Amino acid sequence: MKNTFFISNFFLLIFSLNLFTEDFLIKNAKIFTGTDQGLIKNSDIHIKDGMIQEIKNEIDISNIKVIDLNGKLITSGFISPLTQLGLVEIGLESRTRNDSSDVYSAGFSIASSFNPKSTLIPYNLTGGITLSLSSPSSGGLFSGLSSAFYLSGKLKNSLLKKDIALIASIRSGEGSKAASFLLLEDFLTYAQDRNAEKDLSIIPLSQEDGNISIRDLRAIKRVVDKEIPLVVRVDKSSDILTILDLAKRKDIELIIAGASEGWMIANELADSGVPVILTPIDNIPSSFDSLGSRLDNASILHKAGVKLIISSHETHNAYLSRQGAGIAVSYGLPWEEAIKALTINISESFNLDEIGAIKSGYKADLVVWDGDPLEVTSFVERVFISGKEVPVENRSMRLRDRYLDN
Amino acid sequence: MKKKLFLYSFFIFSLSPFFINAKEDIPFQSTYNPQKSSSVLIQQGRLLTATEEDSFIGDILISNNVIVEVGKSINPPLGTKVIDARGKWVTPGIIDIHSHMGVYPAPSLNSSSDGNESTSPTTAHVWAEHSVWTQDPQMPLALKGGITTYHVLPGSANLIGGRGITLKNVWSRTVQGMKFPNAPYTLKMACGENPKRVYGGRRMEPSTRMGNVAGYRKAWIKAETYLSKQQQYESKSEEAKQMGYKPTRDLEMETLAGVLKGEILIQNHCYRGEEMAVMLDLAKEFKYKVTTFHHAIEAYKVADILAENNVCAAIWADWWGFKHEAFDMVWENAAIIHNANGEKGCAIIHSDDPVGIQRLNQEAAKAMAAGNRVGLNISEGDAIKWITLNAAIGLGIDKWTGSLEKGKMADVVIWDGNPFSVYTKTEKVFIDGILKYSSEDISLPKPTDFELGIINPEENRL
Repeated sequence: MKNTFFISNFFLLIFSLNLFTEDFLIKNAKIFTGTDQGLIKNSDIHIKDGMIQEIKNEIDISNIKVIDLNGKLITSGFISPLTQLGLVEIGLESRTRNDSSDVYSAGFSIASSFNPKSTLIPYNLTGGITLSLSSPSSGGLFSGLSSAFYLSGKLKNSLLKKDIALIASIRSGEGSKAASFLLLEDFLTYAQDRNAEKDLSIIPLSQEDGNISIRDLRAIKRVVDKEIPLVVRVDKSSDILTILDLAKRKDIELIIAGASEGWMIANELADSGVPVILTPIDNIPSSFDSLGSRLDNASILHKAGVKLIISSHETHNAYLSRQGAGIAVSYGLPWEEAIKALTINISESFNLDEIGAIKSGYKADLVVWDGDPLEVTSFVERVFISGKEVPVENRSMRLRDRYLDN
Repeated sequence: MKKKLFLYSFFIFSLSPFFINAKEDIPFQSTYNPQKSSSVLIQQGRLLTATEEDSFIGDILISNNVIVEVGKSINPPLGTKVIDARGKWVTPGIIDIHSHMGVYPAPSLNSSSDGNESTSPTTAHVWAEHSVWTQDPQMPLALKGGITTYHVLPGSANLIGGRGITLKNVWSRTVQGMKFPNAPYTLKMACGENPKRVYGGRRMEPSTRMGNVAGYRKAWIKAETYLSKQQQYESKSEEAKQMGYKPTRDLEMETLAGVLKGEILIQNHCYRGEEMAVMLDLAKEFKYKVTTFHHAIEAYKVADILAENNVCAAIWADWWGFKHEAFDMVWENAAIIHNANGEKGCAIIHSDDPVGIQRLNQEAAKAMAAGNRVGLNISEGDAIKWITLNAAIGLGIDKWTGSLEKGKMADVVIWDGNPFSVYTKTEKVFIDGILKYSSEDISLPKPTDFELGIINPEENRL
């Protein structure tokens, strides 16, 4: 038994050395496209220069490398929104964390401290995540700016797109939430002022409201100019309505995250066209702001017409967004919508072009599965990032192998 | 009429085999006393009994709060309600050996955050049951996840954190009304980072792992002395007892002495392999037994040692990285523990979490699949034990619950499919033969007091 295990590992190694790059064909795949085509069986994908060229029932190209999937499912690589992948190693050890700042608020870009060699990266890649929207987690109204990173583990070229969204939170327990709403509105108002950058003192904020630097102001201005979306973490139904109204008045692109009580205002959310980031696994009324927390939130919001994004509840197991998606399906969300909520809905909401679907002209970020990706018993078999195969191996597997030998 | 009925039912209650109270002079006794359950036949479901290796299609007859019979086909006695379970799966009630429901309830409020008496590193005198808020809305959510019994522990701030308590997942106005009848008391101990962080941060002992171990040893030395004084006194003749002084009661020492006498079971929070080995040596030094290591992230490194010592390891399927002692997690942990020394190991999947407790079946599924992927041959029959019978063994209640066996409490879950799938939900949950959750009955589970009118005055929370 152990021997066969070793032999299979050995073959894996050979495979990974012989990385498929440039030009190859994936044959006999069951493809979840993430497009109107939905799920298509027995089809082939031609990949060249890191991009998907063509998807067809039968593609024949002579003298090309072929990977036969024998009917296995292939999807776009899953995307992890709003986690601290690459920014944190051990939760309780502050010296392993690069996800917060006391110096900057809105302008805090985490991009320069992303660590492609973090153990969390190959671990979550083995869970099916290929792209992380790594985000700061500082307290206060603004946490800072998210950036999109590939989980290829490469020291160079892991960054896909820098500073793609501004993250804010409406929290209870820090005085009245009304002050947070007012502060947010003030920031959005003054960032529009042409003179603000020349003279920060024209912004009538006290020190307690938060230090504002030119860098912070510029980040907020990008939201005002509709270059990037504002993500607001908020749970309570009444607070969500307040934010929806503010976003409308200020004409900004908004994404709501959390939304435990979103189902109570599903129609308003749908009418606003604002996407919602959910962690469907969490139905605990853990505060008075999330008393309405329930497992069919995702399903109710989808039925109303809200674009859903599914997130994990924490960073180390960011890939468990899959389990949350499965739970949402068991409470009524269609399976196809759940996969979209892990892929194309995220790339679209965060303006990441040509990512998140298996479609001609899209990046070849692909995962081959040994079963239904939403099942807790399924595993990732192979991963491709920008058309290059990445080994499915992590530190945890190395530890396991050492002690399996005993 | 009412009075008659009351007397009559009282008579029946006192006949129930499991619910007879112990001696009168013991405080805080269980008053849990379910009404007599009627006869129910769960017919032709796929049974995972937690005793058989493989699942099979069969029937379960429950009556008078107990499992009367389990078999391939049972003829229902007259008046039996028959539940058609074709296409369904049936398992024992799920048991969570590590919960803080009631002591860390939802919503999280300063007022009811009562899990850690973190004012001194050894607080064997505190009892978790005295912190339990019976109206925690997490409890009915866990019931919907199939949880029929759970063990509430004090937190891990302290080296010796206090007594834990095993509860039936039933609504009650009192904690006594939830207490699992005759379940042994437990004592929470904690290794590693947490105690040394809490007290080291206040510049007091322990601030290191060696400080931790010294702290346990000091406590046990005191307990040995206390116990021997007690035993000396008890061994005296009645005459001599009257002449001498009775040793003074000490709450802290009573609990520790209970462990040394083998009456109270040690539940030891311990992540790292080498620390588990140290704790086992400590147990040998003071002649007590560790029943279960909790959060045993590195149990796979010492799985043979745990099996030799007959100690269970309770773990998560995949939590890791939140602190350094949780850094070396492997998905195959449960499977490796299980397979140690020729399948002599005792693996338990626990939650420590109000989200996780709602789907221990899925957590067991992950751990089973991971084991099978590396050829460890874990059957569904093995995996169901990790969340039922093994948890019952770890709590010392396996005589009464944890498997679908004749004579045991009728704690039974009917699932709408294979419980090892993310898509499967519970359909019916019986506790002592009484239907506590049904997907067809909107009045179940019974909402807690907290949930009445908390969002809309005329509605319940969910």
